[in-house]
Amino acid sequence: MSDTAIHLTVLLNQIANAVGRFLLAPLGFLPEVAGALVVAVVTGILMLIAFKYTSHQSAIKHVRNGIKAELLALSLFKDSVAVSLGSQWRIVQGAIKLILISLIPIGCMVIPVTLLLGQLSLWWQARPLQIGEDVVVTLALNENDKTSWPNVTLQTAPAMEITQGPFRIRSRREMCWQLQARASGYHRLNFVVDGQPVEKEVAVGSDSMRVSIQRPAWDLADILMHPAEPPFQRSSSVKSIRMQYPLETTWTHGRYSPLFFHSWLVFWFIGSTIAAFCFRGILKVNL
Amino acid sequence: MSNQEPEKIKRRTLLKGAAAATLGAAGVGAASYWVGSIARVSRSVGKKVIVIGIDGMDPRLTSTMMKQGLLPNFSKMSAAGGFRDLGTSTPPQSPVAWANFINGAGPGSHGIFDFIHRHPHDQCQHPFYSAAETVPSQGGWDIGDHRLQLDFWPFLHKPPETLLRRQGTPFWDYLDAAGIPSTFYDLPANYPPSPSKHGHHRCISGMGTTDMLGSYGTYQSFTEDGPQSPVRETGGIRSKLRFIGDTAKCKLSGPENGLLKTPTPIVIEFQVHRDRSANGVVVEIQGQKILLKEGQWSSWTRLDFPITGPSFAPTGHVSGICRFYLSAASSNYRLYVTPINIDPSAPAVAVSEPKEFIQDVSKDLGLFYTTGFQEDYNARMNGVFHDEEYLRQAGFVLEERLALLEYAVHNYDDGLLFFYFSSSDLQSHMFWWDSDDKHPTRSGPEAQKFFAHIRSLYQKLDAVIGDLNDRYGGSATIMVMSDHGFANFGRQFNLNSWLRDNEYLNPRECSSIMTDIDWSMTRAYGLGINGLYLNLKGRERDGIVEQGDERENLLNELVMRLTAVKDVDGQSVIRGVHRADRIYAGEATALSPDLIIGYRRGYRASWKTCLGNLTPEVLLDNDSVWSADHCADALEVPGLLCCNHAIRSDSPSLIDLAPSILEDFGLQKPLTMTGRSIFSS
Repeated sequence: MSDTAIHLTVLLNQIANAVGRFLLAPLGFLPEVAGALVVAVVTGILMLIAFKYTSHQSAIKHVRNGIKAELLALSLFKDSVAVSLGSQWRIVQGAIKLILISLIPIGCMVIPVTLLLGQLSLWWQARPLQIGEDVVVTLALNENDKTSWPNVTLQTAPAMEITQGPFRIRSRREMCWQLQARASGYHRLNFVVDGQPVEKEVAVGSDSMRVSIQRPAWDLADILMHPAEPPFQRSSSVKSIRMQYPLETTWTHGRYSPLFFHSWLVFWFIGSTIAAFCFRGILKVNL
Repeated sequence: MSNQEPEKIKRRTLLKGAAAATLGAAGVGAASYWVGSIARVSRSVGKKVIVIGIDGMDPRLTSTMMKQGLLPNFSKMSAAGGFRDLGTSTPPQSPVAWANFINGAGPGSHGIFDFIHRHPHDQCQHPFYSAAETVPSQGGWDIGDHRLQLDFWPFLHKPPETLLRRQGTPFWDYLDAAGIPSTFYDLPANYPPSPSKHGHHRCISGMGTTDMLGSYGTYQSFTEDGPQSPVRETGGIRSKLRFIGDTAKCKLSGPENGLLKTPTPIVIEFQVHRDRSANGVVVEIQGQKILLKEGQWSSWTRLDFPITGPSFAPTGHVSGICRFYLSAASSNYRLYVTPINIDPSAPAVAVSEPKEFIQDVSKDLGLFYTTGFQEDYNARMNGVFHDEEYLRQAGFVLEERLALLEYAVHNYDDGLLFFYFSSSDLQSHMFWWDSDDKHPTRSGPEAQKFFAHIRSLYQKLDAVIGDLNDRYGGSATIMVMSDHGFANFGRQFNLNSWLRDNEYLNPRECSSIMTDIDWSMTRAYGLGINGLYLNLKGRERDGIVEQGDERENLLNELVMRLTAVKDVDGQSVIRGVHRADRIYAGEATALSPDLIIGYRRGYRASWKTCLGNLTPEVLLDNDSVWSADHCADALEVPGLLCCNHAIRSDSPSLIDLAPSILEDFGLQKPLTMTGRSIFSS
């Protein structure tokens, strides 16, 4: 079951990557706030449309009208405890009904939205390296054989100079190198693990770029959170390869305030919700 | 028609003239813009004054090196304008001296008399740094282990607060009021930064700025042979690096959580993974990995300190920065962590005016030291660094300073630009030794070798001055100044022990004025580096010396006897003892000592006496690597002044610079200042 889910997710990620690369390409040249706003508004509208066609609109309208009627009853019969309590109970029932009615559209949207967030995280979670900047890359080995270490080498490339390493963290079967970016663009780090070539993508540049922090392990959560590169197979000697990219730190991107988990996620959620509410009249959607 | 013709001609001429003038102006503008861009200078035509403050640069050594042709740029500027000894403050301590510079008046105006002050009503139980004091919180609601403080109406609880103790009016306030921009980089004695009323003043605080722990710099050292449990020492914390397998778990102490009833440090746990084959370690802290080989320094690392309050309140966060240094990795692993500095990109407290100023700088320069004392002299004094390591760390500080200067000059248009260098002071304290006398800790050749670094540092600073002079010599007034000079520190004098031996301080077996002194039998005591206080009735909590004749006679007696103190070889120890009531004037003398001891070159107050401790001997050798100092008599350690405009004053002093700068901008000397312009004879 787990392997099937992982295979399916990998397939969905491939589709999302193909679509995301094309549709989100403007984020590479739009100003940060503009890009974040456009994405929030467009996805808000798209989610609204999806909600309209996957939800039972007449049922929602009926329940909402019922709630409105109860609210009116509450204001008209303030002095009657029995009426007030009855109305309040029916309002609660109406709210529960609305939630239940929304489960189907939420179920329809959960997968596309998860894939979308995975794609957005590639743009907004971390910024690309700048030329001259150092980065630590960690290659985690699978724990299938704790006694022996495979022979691992990182091949030098003109775009990424190895400035330190490898250092071994024996307790976690990890190997670390420190690299320095030398040229802009997308590059590939080429490792050789017991004779087998292994790759990891690196993004270097001063503009916004799609940044893959990690080539994921054979793990569903890992694959969902790091969709850009194919995961390592369960049988591979390598578990995952992670780059310690600098995190974005603006209020629309990355992790502006440690108070929030990820500020880009908060911005997108609030922005898309506001957009959906603004367009619900135009698109005639009952929420 | 005939009347209109000349008018048409005039209009045409006027238009042509205007067009030509516009083109000409545009041409000149474009040319100056181009010239400005290639010469990296401001293109503004506004009045420019640039002051470079080089803490502790000694005029004697500078003059000698100028004569030897080793400081060509100082010589060049001196020939164009002038070079003079610059009268320093009494006492010649940096906070006092820089406050003199800031106010254009003496300590009586700003109320800073020593590095260390005391509250008389406390009978010196809680000495504090003279330029700033942290006052404890007031009010709040206790909720479990936490104390919730709401600093708005109607609650008006007061969280702990650091207050700038420098009084009087800083000279930039007059520039600010006149609409003249001023920018100060790392100005001493200005933390917390004083506010700008009109928005024309910007400043990054310098000496006196604390680290995240609220101290003036606390390094943390982790070694395999360290103490079993963390030990605090002056300016540092030592801990044991205990490897289990190849991984050691360590704790880094951060700022105190002020939301707790009893504030305790926020601790960040981190791991050190050693790799013997790589001869290095991987430091893993807050999701960041840092690879270090033996002898390597990390770049600045950002740390997040969560401030947890009561369970219903959101967790706050403050950011700090530090660097790691793996000093040994072969047998005894030793890891040094710099004091956790306030993050300039997200300062937890204001260290600049306006608060965003330092963030703007950080956007260009990244992370850098923000503590007031950046060279980690405590690490050297406690043996965590050896000389070469200290020199290297001080070199990093200088590199950052030079990058900041480049930023400062690049972003300078007009008005006043002040830039401060600490290197010459904190390197001289360790490496200055300009005689053949026995050095406190080094052999003769070693002492000379390290003193050569000071000469080399002077040459580096000369190059900085040369570059600035090349860029702005023709369009700006440039002043290079130091707050004091330097002298060897071979012998130390314990003032409190001398007072005890002469029965001014009792009982005879007293070991510290903080613990076992009998105030009912004590007439005078020493605190700080140069201060002597009478135990005056009505001022000190347990005062016994009556105002009037008794005070007067005691002061005269102390002046006479202290001036006569001789070392074992017959050398005079004290050049002058100054009565505060005669040398200080102003409204800020409440915390002033009664006498200021001015030591001769080679002598200084003992380490112990500064914080009120006594030793059996009065005079003893200095056995510290801190082998040079300036806390002598003001006449022994003048600063220097070099200017590209003629200095007309024969004996300029620190208090003269502020009125000179104001005069250069066409402003009158305000009544608050007692100095006189150096540009007037």
